[in-house]
Amino acid sequence: MAEPDWRQHWQPMIDNIGKQFDDSPAVFSADVVERSAIRRYLEPLEFDCPLHYDVDVARAHGYRDVLLPNSAIPTFSYAPMWQPGETIFTSDKRNAPPAKTAVAGFRAPIEPETSAFFATNYDADYLLPVCAGDRLSRRGSRLLDCKPKETRVGRGAFITWESDVVNQDFEVVARLQTTFFRYNPHVGGDA
Amino acid sequence: MKQRLWQDISVGDELKAQTFPITVYRLVMAAGANRDFNAIHTNPEVAKQTGAPDIYANTLLLQGMWEKAVRQFIGLAGRVRSQKGFRMSSFNHPGDTVVVKGRVLRTWLENDKGLIEIDIWSENNHGVSVGPGRVIAELPLQQD
Repeated sequence: MAEPDWRQHWQPMIDNIGKQFDDSPAVFSADVVERSAIRRYLEPLEFDCPLHYDVDVARAHGYRDVLLPNSAIPTFSYAPMWQPGETIFTSDKRNAPPAKTAVAGFRAPIEPETSAFFATNYDADYLLPVCAGDRLSRRGSRLLDCKPKETRVGRGAFITWESDVVNQDFEVVARLQTTFFRYNPHVGGDA
Repeated sequence: MKQRLWQDISVGDELKAQTFPITVYRLVMAAGANRDFNAIHTNPEVAKQTGAPDIYANTLLLQGMWEKAVRQFIGLAGRVRSQKGFRMSSFNHPGDTVVVKGRVLRTWLENDKGLIEIDIWSENNHGVSVGPGRVIAELPLQQD
């Protein structure tokens, strides 16, 4: 019997486009947004905007404290990589990943197994400013799209999720649409 | 940082190009700063196992590049409302230089707010690598 087309493995996802997969209560990130963490976010970008590091300038422009760059909102809504009581480094293999990671994105239980992923697309509406002292949480994962595709790096699907980021007052500060390409790399090496 | 007013902006105005040489060091710093520790961005062995030729810039770093370019244009009193069409179409590896460019597509007033739409993209040594996308921003209005 012929093996079914690999694209058919993604059909359950396609059939559930529009479904909300995560209606669990918001779980806030481990840390409040901090001035020092914002400053470090600026470093690799050489992002010289005093709204993000000078509280006097930020206040003069109507913000309560230094302003978080919009592009940093996902960073400050990640779950912690490690929490007290956990062991995440369980292997001494050179390239072993930790036992869990906060940056793998949402995975639906009906997704086919894949071994690799990366983010490809981001759409965002920025609804309220986020300042030092705020605490963020990502809420919800609604499946917006699933397109199986074979690319240069492997076979998989482009999967788009929508979620809200809320602050400590449960106000929506940003609505994010994120697309991941989840795939199994081509056997045999480099693209 | 110069503060433009909405009335100063015309369709076709160009953002000042922002240049970002990509190095391993920069990608490691970015992973620490934006907490995208996916090893495809810092470990060449892992990147190659996933089909990429080398490590590459993560999308948070690339979005930050866009934000830096837009902020330079809209000034401290400007506010970014949305970003659409950010799409990484090819990888940005160490040895590439990413240049963010953009231009104003339209300007309009909405509920007494001065808005602009910017067409924005990133180029590297091989062409456009991110976008083109659209950013909508609000600028202060000249008060009569």
